Amino acid sequence: MQPSAITTSGLTKTYASAFGRKKIHALKGIDIEVAQGEIVGILGPNGAGKTTLLKILLGVVSPTSGSGTILGKPLADEEARRRLGYLPENHRFPPYLTARQTLDIYGRLSHLSDSYRKERIPLLLEEAGLGSWIDTRVGKFSKGMMQRLGLAQATLNDPDILVLDEPTDGVDPVGRREIRDRLRILKQRGKTILINSHLLTEIELICDRVAIMNKGLIVRAGSIDEIASEGTGWRIQCRNMPLELDIKRFSAHIEDGNAEQTIILEAGLLETLNALIDELRSHDVTIVSVERHRKSLEAGFLDIIDKESANV
Amino acid sequence: MKTQFESNLDYQQGMFTSLGGSLLLTFRELWAMRLTQGILFVSTLAWILLAFAMNLDVVEGSLAAVRIFGLDTGADEMVKDAATGEWVRQAMSVDKFVIGISSFVFGAAYFLGTLLGLFATMPLIGGFLEQGRIDLLISKPLSRNRLLSGHLLGVWLTVLALATYLIVGVWIALSIKTGLWLPRMLLSIPLIVVMFGVMYSVIMTLSIVTRSTGLSLIMTYGLIFISAVLTAHEQITVVLSPFAKGVFMTFYHVFPNFVEVVVIQSQLVMGEAVASWYPLFSSIAFGSVMYGLGYIWFNRRDF
Repeated sequence: MQPSAITTSGLTKTYASAFGRKKIHALKGIDIEVAQGEIVGILGPNGAGKTTLLKILLGVVSPTSGSGTILGKPLADEEARRRLGYLPENHRFPPYLTARQTLDIYGRLSHLSDSYRKERIPLLLEEAGLGSWIDTRVGKFSKGMMQRLGLAQATLNDPDILVLDEPTDGVDPVGRREIRDRLRILKQRGKTILINSHLLTEIELICDRVAIMNKGLIVRAGSIDEIASEGTGWRIQCRNMPLELDIKRFSAHIEDGNAEQTIILEAGLLETLNALIDELRSHDVTIVSVERHRKSLEAGFLDIIDKESANV
Repeated sequence: MKTQFESNLDYQQGMFTSLGGSLLLTFRELWAMRLTQGILFVSTLAWILLAFAMNLDVVEGSLAAVRIFGLDTGADEMVKDAATGEWVRQAMSVDKFVIGISSFVFGAAYFLGTLLGLFATMPLIGGFLEQGRIDLLISKPLSRNRLLSGHLLGVWLTVLALATYLIVGVWIALSIKTGLWLPRMLLSIPLIVVMFGVMYSVIMTLSIVTRSTGLSLIMTYGLIFISAVLTAHEQITVVLSPFAKGVFMTFYHVFPNFVEVVVIQSQLVMGEAVASWYPLFSSIAFGSVMYGLGYIWFNRRDF
């Protein structure tokens, strides 16, 4: 069995205002385990504690309590950080440095040797599509180019674990696809990737598992399919449905009302499906097809967050 | 399967690679700020003016004439005649002239250089602590102490280079012109760098604590203003109540004596015995405490 790349146990973080009058509980006990070679997405609304969690893993923020390990070493351990790559949200590279100088300085800070940096930097920038911009000051770069440079910086030390905070923020669809492809290549190389992103379609396309955070807690974790199919129902394609037929009592609704109607049954119970079919058939409705209705990750995510908010 | 890069991945051991990265970042940023080039330009103008535009006629150890851009500016000084008690005009001695010029240039370098230097480096610490940059720097495999030390070392070394460029240039130009070589004048260099360092400790620490570089600069300039008032402590405390005098003298001992240190500089340049080193040492003590607090806060702070 592969050892865990990242583990945390009971991580909490409380921010106190000046003089400690107001306290904000950013994390309320986070337990996660990420296996080596996995791509895990961290999802959650603004203020859920996602960035705080990532920063604690990197040693940028200290936890109030709890513990964790990165590649078997304690959080914030310098040796473990050698094997980490990080792309912060809204990262700012000094605008007066060229792309080459930027990577060179961050490579030095990661203890990379002169020869390695000299060989690796032009190749990485070429891969990032910045080959012809290598000696251009980054102050002239667009947001998308800055993101690609940021990703090149994060992978400069060929890290075992990559922590990406909004990696596709401000990147156009073509650039996003390039970043996705790059992340897939890194996964094939056995890298562990932790992504925080608001773009759920991106997460859906590249992540193996997701953890949904809300108000400082992980409220759900699992594979994309598990999250997306949670609470899913049935999709019934039918014809000749009378307008007066009331299907709301089955928690069902009509998606479109042309020649063929599609009825979406939100609750996934088989008994409800059969009862609805009986009702439809008793009104001479023609059933064309019945299939499982799978939600998008976004719909699944929103359902979970809505339920969590309703429970509070 | 190992990739080409994985097989070539090569680390450099020792503290100097990562420290060098932090140092290089600071140097590059300071150079990118045009003020550094501006100070170099003004310094170059100062010693070019002394080297080429000023002509001195020295006759038997006294100045017969001083000409700037060919215009006679006079080389006399007023002295009291011991016999008659009247003020009379006589030729200035070369060493007095050199000391006078040096005191002016080095005094200006001390005040203007430090004030401009603090102003120039304010955005530097602001940029260093900026969200999106400091978190990335801290995520690198080097301690926060080493990261901050690289930044500080970069600032200090730049100020040392700028002060050395100005003062050594002026000293060489004057010495060649007059034939009088007074190495003690170079003691201004460490004094300027040390006092800049003391005042920078305030900007650095307050910026880390408050995350407002503007406020930090105002506080630092405020301390320099207070130090000007504290310089007159002997005259002011005479008219104060015992309690007010106690408060005033506490300020005098606690706060840096930035303005009073210029007296030490002047005495060193003139070759006089330094009357009191206390203003310098108390200022260094203040700076050390501020740096200590800055390091502690930097290590504990969440970014």
